[in-house]
Order: sequence, then C-alpha cells, then structure tokens
Amino acid sequence: MRASFLLSAAGLALASLFAQPPAANPPPAAKPSLAKDPGPFFPGFGVEQDQGPKPVAGPAPHLPDGRPDFGGNGAWYPGFNGNLAETTWKGVKSADKHVDVPFLPWTLQTFNERVENRAKDDPEAKCLPVGVPRFMFDPYPFQMIQTRNQVVFVFEGDNYLWRIVNIEPAGTHPKNLPPTWLGDAVGHYEGDTLVVDVTGFNGLAWLDQAGHATSDKLHLTERYTRTDSLTLKYEVTIDDPGAYSKPWTAYNTVRWRPGMELMENICQEDEKSSIHMIGK
Amino acid sequence: MKGLILLAALAVLHAQGQVHPDLGADGVWLPRPVADLALNANVPFQDWARLKFQENHAKKQNDLDVRCLPPGIPRINVMARPFAIVETPSRILFVYEGGGHVWRQVWMDGRAHPKDPNPNWLGHSIGHWEGDALVVDSVGFNDRTWLDDAGHPHTEQLHVIEKYTRTSPLTMKYEVTIDDPGAYTRPWTSSSSLSFRPGERLAEDICLDKISK
Repeated sequence: MRASFLLSAAGLALASLFAQPPAANPPPAAKPSLAKDPGPFFPGFGVEQDQGPKPVAGPAPHLPDGRPDFGGNGAWYPGFNGNLAETTWKGVKSADKHVDVPFLPWTLQTFNERVENRAKDDPEAKCLPVGVPRFMFDPYPFQMIQTRNQVVFVFEGDNYLWRIVNIEPAGTHPKNLPPTWLGDAVGHYEGDTLVVDVTGFNGLAWLDQAGHATSDKLHLTERYTRTDSLTLKYEVTIDDPGAYSKPWTAYNTVRWRPGMELMENICQEDEKSSIHMIGK
Repeated sequence: MKGLILLAALAVLHAQGQVHPDLGADGVWLPRPVADLALNANVPFQDWARLKFQENHAKKQNDLDVRCLPPGIPRINVMARPFAIVETPSRILFVYEGGGHVWRQVWMDGRAHPKDPNPNWLGHSIGHWEGDALVVDSVGFNDRTWLDDAGHPHTEQLHVIEKYTRTSPLTMKYEVTIDDPGAYTRPWTSSSSLSFRPGERLAEDICLDKISK
C-alpha cells in the first residue's frame, strides 16, 4: 500500500515535471496568475468516515444572563479548510465563500511559492502556533469557555494551546503591544454574536494551510455566531495594509461534536518530520 | 486597597452560599519558585532514581523543558511563571504563560480516572473540595518530565496529589504529594505558595520561537 502510494507519488512528480511549459520570459508587465489547487494530499484524502447517527440541532443555547452560550458538553471542530478564500482546496470543502483576495504583489508571489513548494515552510509543521484566524479553519477541535469578563479558547492542536479574549469595550488594546502569534484580543457581545478585535501580530503566521501571508500590520475583526446548537458561523475580516490592498472577509461553518473532549496533543513530542519537508 | 476589595469578594462568595473560595478570576497567580522540591529534606529515592537524579542534576541537556516540551506536574506550578485559573461548573482550567503556552484541565464532575490512561505530559486530573482547599489528584503521566528544575525523576506510575488553599486574598498555599512506587520507596511531600496579581494578564511566550531553526 505504502509502496504503491510512493510509486504513484513519484509518477505524479515526473508527470508534473514534463507538464511544465517551456521556459519563456513573460512580458514584464504580466500579472502573475494565482496558483491553482494542488489537489488532494493523497488519494482518498478528506473522505468522511461514518460518524454514526447525525445529532439533531436544537436552538442555540444562551447563558442565564442572555449572552449566547458557546460551550456545553462537547467541542467545536472546524475540519480541514486549507484555503480561506476558496470553497474547495486539496480536493475537499474549504471556506464557505470564494473571495477574490486583494493581494499586494509580494503576498501573491509568496502565496504562489507556498502552494508550489508544498508549504514546506509552514510554521505549523514546526509546531509553531497556527495563529488567528487559522485556528478556525484547521482540523483541530477547540472549546470556548466563557467567564464574566473573558472567553478562553482551548485548543487540542499545535502544542495544546490556549487563547484569551478579554471582554471589554472596543479600542482598549494596550499601547505598544509586543508582536505575537495570536495577537491581543478584545471582545464584546452584539446580540447573539461575539465580536473580537485582534491586533499586535508578529506577521509570521499563515492565514491558512495554503499560505496566505500576513504582515505585522494585520488587524482582524472576528464574528462568532452560534446559529443553532450544532453550528458556529465564523466570519473574519482581514485588514492588513502590509499584505493586502483592501480589507477582505473569509467565512467558515464550524460544527459542534456533542460529547467530544479535548485530548492533550503535544506537536513538539518527538518532532522529527519538518526537516524532511523539502518542497519540490 | 485592592486587598480589601478582594477580601470583600471572598466574603461575598461565602455569603452567597458558595462552598469554596474564589480561585482568582480577575488576575493571575505567580508561584514562589522552588528549584528543588526536596527542600533540604531527604527524599526516599529508590537506588536507580537517586542515580538518575544525580545524572539529571549534572546533565541539564537531559531537561526536555529546554526543548519546549511541557514541564509536567508539579514542576509547572513551582516555576517563576504566572498562570491563570479558570473555573467552570464541570472543570477547572489552568492556563500557563510558561512551559510552552499549554493549559491543563481538572475535572470537577465526579468522574474517576480512566482505567488505562494514555500516558501524557500533564496527566489526567480530577479534583474535589475539602473545605476551603481544592484537592487535585493526577495520574496518567509519561516518564519524560522532571518533577522540578533540580531533576527529580519519576515513572509512569507517578501519582500526584496537589492541595490549593487560598489562605488570604493575595496568597494560595500549594502543597504537593509525590507518590511514585516506581521511583521512591514511599510518598513524599513538598510545598510552595502562589501570589495573586490582581488585574494582571498572561503574556504570549512561545518557547519554540527561541529554538526554531
């Protein structure tokens, strides 16, 4: 099985070598086109396993004081959504809506390189934090714990990370924020929606597995709405003048898995793989 | 002044009929660091564990904490790095700034430990209240962490009992019992304390940033 997979992978690599167009110097003014979906990681990738009977959705729960309740006995599972601007990626369902991403030249070039070199420099593969908003598009379950003045996100993925959103009036980020992977997050409730304003990023995280880049000017507005007991609608507006010519918005639907508990997952345990990611 | 407010908050919690003190929702806890849990006492080593301790003590490169792996329990609670305690009805979360930005959950819903837990870095933890003290019982550890900076080793048989007692608005007493029949001839205890820092927040510190290629 493994041998035949390797053989077919080698065949694909050869085929792609011969399929490349003859070298030609494009006219200098030509805008580089967007890299295409490279297709499934492996044959059969993303085929849904039978999870048994589907749970039936009820109304979205609320806390006694009327705030939306993002918790309960279970966990949120985004699934694999490799590209937050495409509805399919790697051969499976990706973000909810297609977006024409307003790339700056360097981010288009970087995106294309990352797709074409098979994401060999993905920080996630080195056990670094995937960051925000990628946590909402990557296949790691998470939970949201609401206290009076915070929403604590706990993640199974990466190195078993957490993220805290402080519930405060908008515009109350501390001055002179140090650059970080997860940014400084300030949230408030608008009816049934949790709105989170995030800034103070280090510009190292990728927005998704495909490789949309960020700069340290990244500013996010996230909107979390539990539309029924089993469904979390996620919207994120990416405002990054260092990377994109105007703000753009990506969408995902995150599913509730009743009864699911998070397991400790330490990516860094026996991490020996990333040095073998050589791209092509 | 803040202390008075907190004292009032504690009193209110008790007055409302809550059976235990608040664990500090509006701030973080900073441990008084304890590099060597033996605290100048004799630790009931088994022979191999004494040798391993001496080796660890001499060879700091054995320490997986410097390779950004989780420090384990109780070490992560006696390092000079703050953490927050988040209480929910079914579990208590410990959210750590240090040790790789990890979190830990203590189940408060009355469940037992699993019969054959998957050995991991932070163990499987269940808790209950004994008066004003939170008692946390943990098993299911791998044998790769050290109990402290000094390098006290343990096996997968490690069983840790921690007791958190908020003795004042700004102070938590921390007592720990190490019960590991694979490494020590009998259970032994150590202690430290935690200082409450009202209104403070945790910073992001990604250990791997410092060692990534």
